[in-house]
Amino acid sequence: MEIALIGNPNTGKTSLFNNLTGSYEYVGNWSGVTVEKKVGVFKNNIGKLIDLPGVYTLNPLSKDEGVVTSFFLHDSFDRLLNILDASQLERNLHLTLQLLEFDKPVLIGLNMIDVANKRGIQIDAAKLSEILGVPVAPVVARSGKGCDKLVDIIGTKSMQPARKNLVYYGEEVEEAILALSNEIKGETGHSRRFLAIQYFEGNEYVKKYLHQMASSEKLTAILTNLEVSVQQRYNVKTLANFIYLKRKETIDKMLAEVVSKNGEVVPLTEKIDRIVTNKYLGVPIFLLFMYLMFELTFDWLGTRVSDALDAFFSGPLTSWLEAALTVVHASAFIHALIINGLVAGVGGVLVFVPQIFILFFFISLLEDSGYMARVALVMDRIMESVGLNGKAFIPMIIGFGCNVPGIMAARTIETPRERLLTILLTPLMSCSARLPVYALFVGAFFATHKAIIVLSMYVLGVVVALILAKVFSSTLLKSETSLFVIELPPYRLPQFQSLWRSTWDKGKGFVRKAGTFIFGGSVFIWLLSYAGPAGLNVNMNHSFLAGVGSILAPLLAPLGFGTWQAAASLITGFLAKESIISSMNIIYFAKNDAGLQGLLSHYYTPLAAYSFMVFILLYIPCLATTATIYKETGSKKWTVFAVVYALAIAYCLSFVIYQGGKLFGFV
Amino acid sequence: MFCSLKAGDKGKIIDISHVNHLVQRRLLDLGITEGSEVCVKCIMPFGGPVMIESCGQCIALRRKEAVQIEVEKL
Repeated sequence: MEIALIGNPNTGKTSLFNNLTGSYEYVGNWSGVTVEKKVGVFKNNIGKLIDLPGVYTLNPLSKDEGVVTSFFLHDSFDRLLNILDASQLERNLHLTLQLLEFDKPVLIGLNMIDVANKRGIQIDAAKLSEILGVPVAPVVARSGKGCDKLVDIIGTKSMQPARKNLVYYGEEVEEAILALSNEIKGETGHSRRFLAIQYFEGNEYVKKYLHQMASSEKLTAILTNLEVSVQQRYNVKTLANFIYLKRKETIDKMLAEVVSKNGEVVPLTEKIDRIVTNKYLGVPIFLLFMYLMFELTFDWLGTRVSDALDAFFSGPLTSWLEAALTVVHASAFIHALIINGLVAGVGGVLVFVPQIFILFFFISLLEDSGYMARVALVMDRIMESVGLNGKAFIPMIIGFGCNVPGIMAARTIETPRERLLTILLTPLMSCSARLPVYALFVGAFFATHKAIIVLSMYVLGVVVALILAKVFSSTLLKSETSLFVIELPPYRLPQFQSLWRSTWDKGKGFVRKAGTFIFGGSVFIWLLSYAGPAGLNVNMNHSFLAGVGSILAPLLAPLGFGTWQAAASLITGFLAKESIISSMNIIYFAKNDAGLQGLLSHYYTPLAAYSFMVFILLYIPCLATTATIYKETGSKKWTVFAVVYALAIAYCLSFVIYQGGKLFGFV
Repeated sequence: MFCSLKAGDKGKIIDISHVNHLVQRRLLDLGITEGSEVCVKCIMPFGGPVMIESCGQCIALRRKEAVQIEVEKL
């Protein structure tokens, strides 16, 4: 049995999904965090649950919402689980009425009863169930209260479609529904009433679907006739508005019977909002929060744990492995492969796991608490001036964790132009995989100003992105339309369990990459450095790796790092940015990151090191990101553009920094 | 006009038809249309967005769209 989970944004859909399926899913709090179709298996194995993006209506505005409409039209499923926010019942019921018209069995989960009660709203769930003709189960998705009962209902009740038309749309519309139904008789398995109403509302997806099965002239004729007669008789602006008002009438009647209100209280959310979205304090508070995040990640907590881990890898772990290798009489080749290839390569990356998890924890905290939408609000003015909107800032912040989900999060941006622009610029956000490189270099060259130097990388990424946004939006991607309407969900106290799940969900990808990509890459790089034209176990300066690197090295010389070692590690960085570290550990023959830091000072000046960090920040989206850009834009041209412009910008900026720095006498 | 409202003021929407149709649709999705009561919560500086509250939910929209909404002060 396949059950689709559907509801408005910010109704706790994803929390409910996690509670029902017990899977490690991604939980967030800003409009439309569920950007992909996700499927989970119910805890008691009664079927599969499909998590759909949050929508207000089945008539889509953005691509994200279009996912849901396409799903309804083209995929098969058995039941619908509609989750409602009890504190926003009126708005939520508009979607419910459309779902009931679809004529599939519907079950309603009434969420956030606790929030509604706090606001003085009492809801009679039994009465609501009676009026709608479908089961209604009260739940608190965040704590999991009521979920067992919900599962019982899903598993036992047969949930026949209600088969009564809740909304009467008036004589003219009802007649047109019949007329249109006759045109498509026998052509579709979906509810014809549903299709007709969606078509009249101007749903583009349904229009395309219907025009495939019936003559488009006849359908358009029905629509135009109806539009004219409704506008004349009822004095409304559009047919869609008329349909909306009819639904609203039904809902108002329903609510009068179901809801009772008593005295209102000022919610805590408003008190917090008075501070964080304050006219003047909004931006500084956001910057302060980011600064604290970096201090904790690098100086106060993360680095200490990382250093301890590094010491463990290079000390006890290496000696145990060496002892074990001696016991089994491993050949010199295997010995070198494991100690110099794998421990150096994979270990060098794993050392940064604590820092990356701390960063992911903060990003999850931002999402889960409801602050993310406020960031979009606070940043909108700045983003508008470069031709983007505040919502584009959210993919960018997520991009700090990893560019791939950041690019996918751009789906919630309604206008195609702004979405494309956001996709192109998100790779400039310094993702967690670039962080090990900075951590290594600041440790070696800027030990006294670690956090500030790393923060400067993140800020540089954002500034370059904003400047390029302005440039692209006034040259390549010109257009007037821009849309910014964002819902600010109430603050929610993040729950440790969901924070941990979401941190782990993001961070495990990094660990997995270390076990696969970096593992394979390390072996490959080590082999290239071990073998050369003269045979095996050559001096590294005569290896294949040196050969490839020295072709590119002269090109990089004006940037301050024209060595074959730097060139070779940059090539591997395309696979995954953190493999730059693995490659360097192998190339420089360092046992651990601390050793590598000591060696680096022979090859780089502080200025060259900074130039190298800037180059790594910008030079190319990694393989996974490039693939995502291609998937999301569906265009080879834009994918190539994303790679090429990044390379050009990185080269220019590093050149300016290194050569400019030399002019001013820095070394 | 919306611009006559200050933070903390309440108003009733009379006419929303001059606003960009995409914005109009999105506001409708959120239950905000002619006849809705709104309360201005906060106006961001330098022509930034405004934050309004309507039926217990907070929404932000751009100043240039907000001023096109005809509002009657309550």
